[in-house]
Amino acid sequence: MGEIQLLYNYLVVGALLFGIGLVGFLTRRNMIVMFLAAEMMLQGVSLSLVAWGRFHDDWGGQVLVILILTVAACEAGLALALILLLFQRSGKLDIAFWQTIREDNQPKFIDQELPDETRDKPHWPQLTPAGIEPPGKGQELDHRIHV
Amino acid sequence: MMHYQWPYALAALLLACGLWMLLPHPGRTRVKLGVGLTVAGLGLLTLLVHFGLLLRFQAGLGEQAPQLYVEWSPGLARGEAWVFDGIFLALAGITVGSAIAAVTLRSPVYCAIWFALTLLGTGGLLLYEGAQFLGVATVVVYAGAILVTFLFVLMLAQPQGDSYYDRLSWEALLSAVAGAVMVGTLTMTMASALDAPGKAIGEKATSPQVAKERRERILGTEHVARLGGQLFSTHLISVEVAGTLLLVALVGAVAMLAGENPAVEGVDPGRNGKTFGAAGRMSQGGVRG
Repeated sequence: MGEIQLLYNYLVVGALLFGIGLVGFLTRRNMIVMFLAAEMMLQGVSLSLVAWGRFHDDWGGQVLVILILTVAACEAGLALALILLLFQRSGKLDIAFWQTIREDNQPKFIDQELPDETRDKPHWPQLTPAGIEPPGKGQELDHRIHV
Repeated sequence: MMHYQWPYALAALLLACGLWMLLPHPGRTRVKLGVGLTVAGLGLLTLLVHFGLLLRFQAGLGEQAPQLYVEWSPGLARGEAWVFDGIFLALAGITVGSAIAAVTLRSPVYCAIWFALTLLGTGGLLLYEGAQFLGVATVVVYAGAILVTFLFVLMLAQPQGDSYYDRLSWEALLSAVAGAVMVGTLTMTMASALDAPGKAIGEKATSPQVAKERRERILGTEHVARLGGQLFSTHLISVEVAGTLLLVALVGAVAMLAGENPAVEGVDPGRNGKTFGAAGRMSQGGVRG
């Protein structure tokens, strides 16, 4: 692969990562997934910077990516602290809960259809009971905290 | 021959449709169709970009201008370069595929784990480019520190079961169209710039003299030592400012959380007696007994 082709390929991969991160940031409502998408945008930019640095034989691209790494670490710490604070006040990670801080002329976003939280019935294997009954109530075996 | 642009638009359109179908919607999502459309769009983009299906210079200059090709190793024949191309395609495929998964899945923990795979792919791509320190630093700092902090926060703030806001997305169609327009425009611009490389890129950047210098400087041996030398000589002030920024962020994070956390203050949780989250559940569960 020649240098121009390498540059072109890396720029397109960087653009794809940036675009996917952009779509994720605009679309998702979970604050943590929004932040993951923002970090993905930074990854796309890092790839483009390193590609240009290699193409022009310049160290500046890689130095900028090191600084991006530093800033992303700071941003992650502060953003996660903020998310924890917001969760303590509202009880959920939904960004639509805080939509009152928008400008005044924006229409209020109301969820049109809220899907009910159905969960698939868990298929636990039916083993022959043997030995001592395990501690705990019976319905605890059917309910499992879903990760 | 005119440079055709509609295949790039078609690839971007396929990507947009696939991504829109994969994003969380209420009700049943068409995963197979979404995955199929996304794979088709990415495959078309790979054909156009990597294999240079429409670029004139790829076909025109392949044999007549061998100095455009940088040899990976002195003895490697051009015919064996497909191994290295395959490695790049595998890394890029892993990165982009796990990026799409990280953005479209419903459970935020799964999103975080797929993002870890994206970071590994990005680290591999950086290693492939010759940036050895950055490849390792991406994995160590991003996947090892930032992502673990994410998972800690998810552990503390995760609601029980699937929450409704994880299964909704707002303005999915407009966002997918915006992303596809951006990616398509960038790709088309790059393709038309590379269509006449002599004018746009400049012959200086691809001359054998620059290739030789590149092998000695940015692709040379002792990569980390040279990068460190550049950091602490040319970019010294940036490094010091970055250190100060880290200190400020640390102080800020501690200051933000120390004043709010009721466990630190030692008073009753909440201002009106009600709290949410793990602390609230434990206290309410304790009250009810």
